[in-house]
Amino acid sequence: MADKTDDKIKAEARTEFGKGAARRIRRADKVPAVIYGHGNEPIHIALPGHDAMMALKHGGTNALLHVELDGKTYLALTKQVQSDPIKGFLEHIDFVEVKKGEKVTVEVGVHVEGEVKSDAMVVTELNTVSVEAEATNIPEWVTIDVEDAEAGFQVFARDLSLPAGSVVLTDDDALVVNVIHAPTAEELEAELEEAEAEAGIERDESDEEAAEAAAEESGDGDAAEGESSDED
Amino acid sequence: MLMPRRVKHRKQHHPKRGGAAKGGTKLAFGDFGIQAVEGHYVTNRQIESARIAMTRHIKRGGKVWINIYPDRPLTKKPAETRMGSGKGSPEWWVANVKPGRVMFELSGVPEDVAREAMRRAIHKLPMKCRFISREAGEF
Repeated sequence: MADKTDDKIKAEARTEFGKGAARRIRRADKVPAVIYGHGNEPIHIALPGHDAMMALKHGGTNALLHVELDGKTYLALTKQVQSDPIKGFLEHIDFVEVKKGEKVTVEVGVHVEGEVKSDAMVVTELNTVSVEAEATNIPEWVTIDVEDAEAGFQVFARDLSLPAGSVVLTDDDALVVNVIHAPTAEELEAELEEAEAEAGIERDESDEEAAEAAAEESGDGDAAEGESSDED
Repeated sequence: MLMPRRVKHRKQHHPKRGGAAKGGTKLAFGDFGIQAVEGHYVTNRQIESARIAMTRHIKRGGKVWINIYPDRPLTKKPAETRMGSGKGSPEWWVANVKPGRVMFELSGVPEDVAREAMRRAIHKLPMKCRFISREAGEF
């Protein structure tokens, strides 16, 4: 958990609205944004593009920023970010005004750590969980350890451990991580061959896979290569 | 192979090719994904071929999601046929993929394995695509 209240960012007030104005702002390397909350009127602002991008990158999904506007500082929690799906630049940011010590409800990502047993595989059923935490102490991740877990191991929302002051709001019985049996090599091969036959796909084993097979025959292959190079 | 079991109209107009994806542009299930950078029709054979290429590489331990569905029929007239006499017979089932769409997702494998599996799958697809991951930081 990191205190992410150090990111300060200078904003300008926006006076003109609509897609034309928003596009002019974006062309000037700025990002249109809005701050709302606490029953106040929404404040429309423009943020410097690079600073906003870096602040979100460092702060994560629930970045908490100090937005300075006309000599006043707002503590703003990122609510929604719109970005271009292809080029990735920021299109618009929604912030919620918060106060220090105020409890907020946010979505926190689930992070799975560790290696399960060889015959099992991890399926993350919920990629985020709803958490209530202090605005200045939002956990970055909810970490789940699955080291040496066997098939049948399950983690529910009630099993999640969070730092003091944070509470999971997701339904207690919601399945977060499930460890299941991995298909055996034979099952997988049979399934793929059936799929290939149905699709009429002819498998070409000549190139990449043949090279892999050769690489797996470790010792003999190296020796043979060595001999051939000597002969040359 | 993926195809609808029953459709209301056997022959349709060609799906629109322009525009960008308006949804399904972020990872929803897995940790890694293939995102379309260009728009294209993707046939059910291509989808299946990409899935098989990916699954063969990851062998065991990974889970694959397919986020697109080939629900649009394309027709073709037989060879050496004069024009006219109505629309040809359905030949392919395609998904109309727009730029930005996340088509496949993968989880349960290390990043290097996922990257290679998806590189192989991308070779089976008709358009330019890229590898994306949850760790790489989506806002």
